[in-house]
Amino acid sequence: MTKPTTIRIPEDLLNEIERFVQESNLDRSTYLREVLRKGFSLDKQDRLLLKYVRKELSQMEVCKELKWNPWEFLSQLKTRNMFLNVELEDWLDASELPS
Amino acid sequence: MVADSSSLILLAKCSLLEIVCDLFDVIVPKSVNIEVASEDLVKNYPDAALISDLTSKGAINVQSPGSNKLTLPISLHKGEEDALLLAIKLGRSLFVTDDGKAIKAARFFKVPFIITPKIIVELFRTQKISFKKTRESLEKLGKIGRYSSEIIADALVSLMEEKNDKTNNNKDTRRPFK
Repeated sequence: MTKPTTIRIPEDLLNEIERFVQESNLDRSTYLREVLRKGFSLDKQDRLLLKYVRKELSQMEVCKELKWNPWEFLSQLKTRNMFLNVELEDWLDASELPS
Repeated sequence: MVADSSSLILLAKCSLLEIVCDLFDVIVPKSVNIEVASEDLVKNYPDAALISDLTSKGAINVQSPGSNKLTLPISLHKGEEDALLLAIKLGRSLFVTDDGKAIKAARFFKVPFIITPKIIVELFRTQKISFKKTRESLEKLGKIGRYSSEIIADALVSLMEEKNDKTNNNKDTRRPFK
């Protein structure tokens, strides 16, 4: 089910969208819904991964929010050239193995 | 030692999980086992299949953290929280994690923690794995495990220091008395 919503967007962007939609023979509403869905998904990933880097979220908290498994998480870090949120201080403070 | 999902996966990726399970009591809460070795994951990821196999053989011990809840200053996902709770319950057992936020929580509860690169260097220090295997595993952690180059570089320096110490000790023992 779809629900209507209203947003204000810059005129030049709206004109560009109109032109592109006409040239590509697309339905404007369907196209905008698709763009919104794709954009939202990517933006959500970016923002949650930024929270992970800042240690505001753990690896598995991010996985839960984005419906990823831990292997997908590592693969996404690689795709974005990002790293685990473990710091040099953690490496230096880590304990030794029990004897 | 009590491990969470992040470390189980990295140890499996470095082909060191079996060695670690042979040498130490590796314990995980049930929630971690579900996160990394569910039926669906086992079908699609060889690391998950290995973890599942080690669990069914009893090399990875699945335990309940009990009904007590932690009052954490920060939130964690169930698996990470259960692993930390289990480490506390088992008398501040070593908590194995490669998650910065879980480490923050471990520091808060004064639970000793270890991360995968440290385990690898320690396995070499205690002569459980070869220099070649240690170096390869650390390089894998950087490439596949997404560890920062800063930590991998420091781990490689530690590895070279350990290697030099061992070489010098061997030379010392061969030196004749004057």
